[in-house]
Amino acid sequence: MSDEAVAALSDVTRTYGGVPVLESVSLTVKPGVTAVVGPNGSGKSTLLGVLADATAPTAGEVRRPGATGPNPIGYLPQRVPFREGFTARETLAFYARLVGDDPHTALDRIGLGDAGDRRVEALSGGMRRLLGIAQAVLGDPSLVVLDEPASGLDPGMRERAFRAAADRADDDTAVVVSSHALDLVDDHADRVVVLRRGEVAAEGPLDRLLDEHDAADARELYRVVTGGTGALAGDDGEGPEGEDEGDREGDDGEGESDGDEPEPTVHVTGVSDR
Amino acid sequence: MSGPLTGVATAFRRELSTVVRTPGYGVLAVGLLVAVGGLLAAGGGGATGFVPAVVDLLLPTEALVPLVGVVLGYRALLSDGASGELAVIRTYPIRVGEYVAGVLLARTVALVAVVGVPYAAVGVGVWLTAAPDTGIFATHAGIDSPVLYLRFLAFVLLLGAAYVSLAAAVSALAASRRSAIALGVLALVAGVLGGDLLLLRSLGGGASPATIPGSIALTPNGAFRGLVFEHVIGVAFAPEGGFVSTGRAVGSLVGWTLLGAAVSGAVLAYGRRVDVLLERVRSRIAS
Repeated sequence: MSDEAVAALSDVTRTYGGVPVLESVSLTVKPGVTAVVGPNGSGKSTLLGVLADATAPTAGEVRRPGATGPNPIGYLPQRVPFREGFTARETLAFYARLVGDDPHTALDRIGLGDAGDRRVEALSGGMRRLLGIAQAVLGDPSLVVLDEPASGLDPGMRERAFRAAADRADDDTAVVVSSHALDLVDDHADRVVVLRRGEVAAEGPLDRLLDEHDAADARELYRVVTGGTGALAGDDGEGPEGEDEGDREGDDGEGESDGDEPEPTVHVTGVSDR
Repeated sequence: MSGPLTGVATAFRRELSTVVRTPGYGVLAVGLLVAVGGLLAAGGGGATGFVPAVVDLLLPTEALVPLVGVVLGYRALLSDGASGELAVIRTYPIRVGEYVAGVLLARTVALVAVVGVPYAAVGVGVWLTAAPDTGIFATHAGIDSPVLYLRFLAFVLLLGAAYVSLAAAVSALAASRRSAIALGVLALVAGVLGGDLLLLRSLGGGASPATIPGSIALTPNGAFRGLVFEHVIGVAFAPEGGFVSTGRAVGSLVGWTLLGAAVSGAVLAYGRRVDVLLERVRSRIAS
């Protein structure tokens, strides 16, 4: 992987209601897969929002020297926000038109080709998340930011989603994912950022961090650095961070409720129908 | 890849699809048709000709069309912001101006359908049923004519477009659906009643009645009313106009429309910076 920075944060702080959610975070994002891990409320979604330019920092500087091209940034928020009433294909077509990409190929790439004619609100939470991943990589962005890409997916599909994200990473492309699935972090991440209470507790190549903290794997690293249990690591799924960070706009948007979805009539291999 | 027209066209297409898939707007159009047709039947003007029909419709139109405009516009820019999809759209090569233009154009097309079709249908009804014959296209003042009704329809759509745009600005400013409704109602009341109340107050304060043609054009409703008197009712019944300055009234309606679009764009473009400034103040207070 190239050592050129795709994005860099310098002393970035973000507050909500005067309360800091991110505090003096400095970070360099390089090509490859960077996993952002940390307890709920540690600032992961805000950090990813700042990286994707979806959230403006209240202090500090964000540079994206390597995020170039017609569509420099791809972003999947924690809550998949697509407009209801549109099918999965129509939803992707809207974004694809803006970057001259093909929505059909994008759907097939993520395994949702058979569900393309289903309305967004009729998709399960997992399917919606896959649709979000397909959207985030349209136009080959050089900085892909995925907030909880494996949330709501069954174990097989979590692996598939992570692999799809990792496959995007190359010498010019950085993929940043937040996740509680530490087993997948072990398998796919080149670098890890551990957040604790809005600050970077550890950051660097995964192998180096494991050595430095005398940890056998990402789960142990997480436990050592955050003082947490890492109980979610490798478990069967990861829930959206309900309290995470206050960067939600408005009060009438619908959050994801993976357990309360209409029963899908189209089965997509590996995607939980629950 | 993506040029300005691509951005506008893509946002327009998506917004128009949303409008088409919203059954409430169809109900709104039917409701407007019933209301306008009912008012005309009750007033009796439609049985006599276009100008009497316009006289019957003028006052209710000043309330109904702004209401429809606000209904069409009050969530136009709020929904993407509230759902978080605007944050995703921002990562694509589409400028705020293109996005706002696409949304507003689509909502204006929706206005033409929701308002224009019922009013046109009523006009056709007047043409077919009114006596004496209203099929004469006026060549000089004093004759009732379908052209006068077409003028009225054009002014109605200009009025509606101004309210759609102002309501969209409200939707960009609002943080939630509830606040959008509250701000929309406020804008509606201010637009429908505010101008006339200010005019009455200025006259009560000693302003000359000669200033009325100039000042009445400043508000959307005043400009619309002035144009209807000047170019529809006045053409048939009065040898001379002088109700309002035409250029000023048209400029006012177009200006309100552009102002709404400009405020919408500015809020989306600079709202985050304002939010950051407020956060800095809060942080200082908290510390």
